[in-house]
Amino acid sequence: MTDLRSASRVRRRLAASVLALAIVALTALFSGAAPPATAASGSTLGVVSDTELTTFNPFTSYYDGELNIIGVIYPALTVNDKDNIPQPYLASKVEHSADAKTWTFTIRTGLKWSDGKPITVQDIVWTYNLIMKNKAAASANGSIVENFATVTAPNASTIVIKTKSPQANMLYLSIPIVPQHIWQSRVKNIGKELNTETPVVGYGPWILTGFKTDQYATLSRNKDFGTDFVVSQPKFDKLISYYYKSTDAAVSALRSGQVDQLTGMTPAQFKQLGKNKDLAVYQTAPVGWTGIEVNPGARTKAGKKFGTANPALADQRLRSAIAWSINRPQLVTKILDGLGIVGAGYVPASFKQWAWQPTAGQKIGYDPARANKILDQAGYKKDGKGVRIDPKTGKEISLRLGIHSDDDQDQQIAQYVKPWLQAIGLKIKIEPMSFDVLNKNLVKGDWDMLMDGWSTGSDPTYLLSIQTCGALPPDTSTPGYTDAFYCNPKYDALYKKQLATANQSERAKYIGQMQSILYNANIDVTLYYKNQLSGLRKNDVKDYLTGAADAQGVYPLQNHVVNWSLATPIKHKSSSNLGLYIGVPVAVVVIGAAAGLVALRRRSTAAERE
Amino acid sequence: MSAVDPVTVEAAGEVTSSDRRGREERSDFGTYLIGKIVSAAVSFLFTLIIGFTIFSIMPSDPVSALTRGRPTSAAQIAELKKQLGIGKPVWQRFFEFVHRTLTGDLGYSYQYHATVSSLIGSRIWPTLLLTGSSTVISIVIGLWLGIRSGWRHGSLLDRLSSGVSLTLWSVPTFWLGLILLVVFSVGFGPIPSIFPAGGMSSPDFGGGAAGHVVDVARHLVLPCLTLVLVVFAQYVTIMRSSIIDELGSPYLLTARAKGLRDDDVRRKHAVPNALLPTVTIIFLQIGGLVGGAITVETVYSWPGLGYLTYNALRIPDLQLLEGTFIIFSASIIVMNLLADLLYRFLDPRVRAT
Repeated sequence: MTDLRSASRVRRRLAASVLALAIVALTALFSGAAPPATAASGSTLGVVSDTELTTFNPFTSYYDGELNIIGVIYPALTVNDKDNIPQPYLASKVEHSADAKTWTFTIRTGLKWSDGKPITVQDIVWTYNLIMKNKAAASANGSIVENFATVTAPNASTIVIKTKSPQANMLYLSIPIVPQHIWQSRVKNIGKELNTETPVVGYGPWILTGFKTDQYATLSRNKDFGTDFVVSQPKFDKLISYYYKSTDAAVSALRSGQVDQLTGMTPAQFKQLGKNKDLAVYQTAPVGWTGIEVNPGARTKAGKKFGTANPALADQRLRSAIAWSINRPQLVTKILDGLGIVGAGYVPASFKQWAWQPTAGQKIGYDPARANKILDQAGYKKDGKGVRIDPKTGKEISLRLGIHSDDDQDQQIAQYVKPWLQAIGLKIKIEPMSFDVLNKNLVKGDWDMLMDGWSTGSDPTYLLSIQTCGALPPDTSTPGYTDAFYCNPKYDALYKKQLATANQSERAKYIGQMQSILYNANIDVTLYYKNQLSGLRKNDVKDYLTGAADAQGVYPLQNHVVNWSLATPIKHKSSSNLGLYIGVPVAVVVIGAAAGLVALRRRSTAAERE
Repeated sequence: MSAVDPVTVEAAGEVTSSDRRGREERSDFGTYLIGKIVSAAVSFLFTLIIGFTIFSIMPSDPVSALTRGRPTSAAQIAELKKQLGIGKPVWQRFFEFVHRTLTGDLGYSYQYHATVSSLIGSRIWPTLLLTGSSTVISIVIGLWLGIRSGWRHGSLLDRLSSGVSLTLWSVPTFWLGLILLVVFSVGFGPIPSIFPAGGMSSPDFGGGAAGHVVDVARHLVLPCLTLVLVVFAQYVTIMRSSIIDELGSPYLLTARAKGLRDDDVRRKHAVPNALLPTVTIIFLQIGGLVGGAITVETVYSWPGLGYLTYNALRIPDLQLLEGTFIIFSASIIVMNLLADLLYRFLDPRVRAT
């Protein structure tokens, strides 16, 4: 019995030591809890990345979160200002020939990469030519230089870009320039290069100094960044871009002060955070639209028809009736909680230089009676069940509405749209599909209507090109980049004209005419533009936003490159570590109590049994 | 001296026969081991075939999914098609896939612009840390509670532990994760913000290597806790029912009759016998560890394999999907093999067959 007792004592002591160790470990753990965003080592601006962070290779990366970082660590010929208008960067002056085919850039001299080597015209020529000639290096920006004939440097401060056909959006093409002396040896494996070994040699307001895959990128202020650019020297010492896989976690991080700024909240989160006294929530102008694409009939560039779209949709009058039957203001109220703009033009109105609005006579509103009238006049009679009959085939008009199965908003919109379309005599079948299946059907032309959305950067050329005949698939097995198989020679002529018009305000007129054509065609029924919903820790950061809010409280579209440099830390006299002071004792007490209970229980049960 | 000592002869004979038995046992084990390894290899091959078939017949169009929404020239599309092997006959793609797998090349992800092995390599350790630590804790808590609940079933502890664990088992993981996130990361009522909202480490957490360990540990607390709370119930239930099955056994009566303490009867006699079904579950769980815990990884932004697989499936990024599939199936097959081998040591009945 003595042996047994001493063994049990030893065990109990062992358990007690393990418990004590656990308490010490936990205390150590808690003592580092939730460090304030402004660390002692200097001021830190914490932001939430839009997407995952895997690579900072400017030749291959195309995710927004990565591109945002690339944009502040590598220079380009031009950089967008706070109004998203291109301004001089590496180039101090730009001239172009009358036909907009020869562009001459005067390059600043005396600038240095972060490793001290000079930035030369050779770096620029080498970067552009690599993208033009190397397939792997072309994966991100290949289409931008597709129209380039040559990029040369006639002297140490001039770059000449000659294009095959006029290219009026040249100043918007801010391709990141890399240091040749670093990248030359990487060319062989450029498709696999992640460029995550820090510090990354570059030039910009920030230097990438730390990175953890899928977690965060740390950037330090570049003290040698020039002072005569539209982007200023950063005020914060450090910038950290965190990636959160769910917006709930990102919102939690903002609320607890682990990050200072977040873009991309849901309306519910936005309204909830509006009550928080430490935060300023704000809306910024939208960069994209959400809409319903209507398939007028899939066809190849050569005009070969394919796919299973309902042939009735080729009739513009039917598409117009669909557009008139949709109550867009109600969608903004119900789905976006009012935090958006009713859809109209193809290019979101936040890009003021390209904004277009339908004329009073052209504007399509919510008017089911008018939609019914259009269909009646076009000869779509209703059968006994109230469903319209296609006069050409004699069949009921039954349409599929494809939605993304993983998108809540798609499902909500479909629930509204279905009865509206049924009210004008169209039979609707909602088909939820995965992103992948939806895409596959889109390419095959096996759809009638699809929920979709597009967003654009400050130059709308690509967005506009989606609706050109050139975007149609070359054959039925190769995807084109069209979204609704639209092809209109008038539209194409304007597309070419705007690309050849270097005067940007004149170019905007043609872009307006193109949007007018698309608006009347109703192949992309724009439902709404979602305002971007953001939050900022107003007690820690000031001067982050640019521009003033409009009557609805919506700020103009922001440019993060400018914002990150403008943001200024607010110094606090003392940082509160309330969490720490409460957390540690609470944890120790809880663990101690648990340990005591276990010990008591063990003793009593052992005694009972013995 | 010429007479042979019969004892020596007998002893020598005995040595020889036990030697032979040992050799036989070893050769038995050798055959058993080879058999198991061969069958594991065959399983792996079949898994490869099944995986490849599923990914081949899956309706997908990775080219349009990868290029959707960004400027892509016709030449780029053609190049991408060529690199993805689209248009090649199925048998050719299959042999390329098998060849790649056997030579250790898992391919290239066009979604991430990185090799599949580098993507998996950078995410497998975080996943193993999260799922490994939570499994160990779940097993320890689950078995501890299961043994005690089963031993004195109907007691307050039994009712409490069964009730609590089954309730937590039924709770949706993401919901529990979000609640813990809001309470312990944001702070709720008197509870201040204690743990970080996500990720695996902080960029500016000092203290060198030891600091890093503490930093990772405090990031690990919430995701690990969520997994433990949801998962430990299965160990409780299995262990509890196994112990209850043993309760009426005569050998326990014998042990008690010998005057052993109740504690010792339980620990030394009942538990070892009740442990076998649990070992199977544990090894199945360990095999599945690599698969990660996609929900928890998403809620806490843990940089693991689960989310990578989800993203691969979305496009589908075929080579990445195949790569993760190979890793998942290989780990399950290897763990099953280990479980089979361990069973031989744990259970004499397996050795006898």
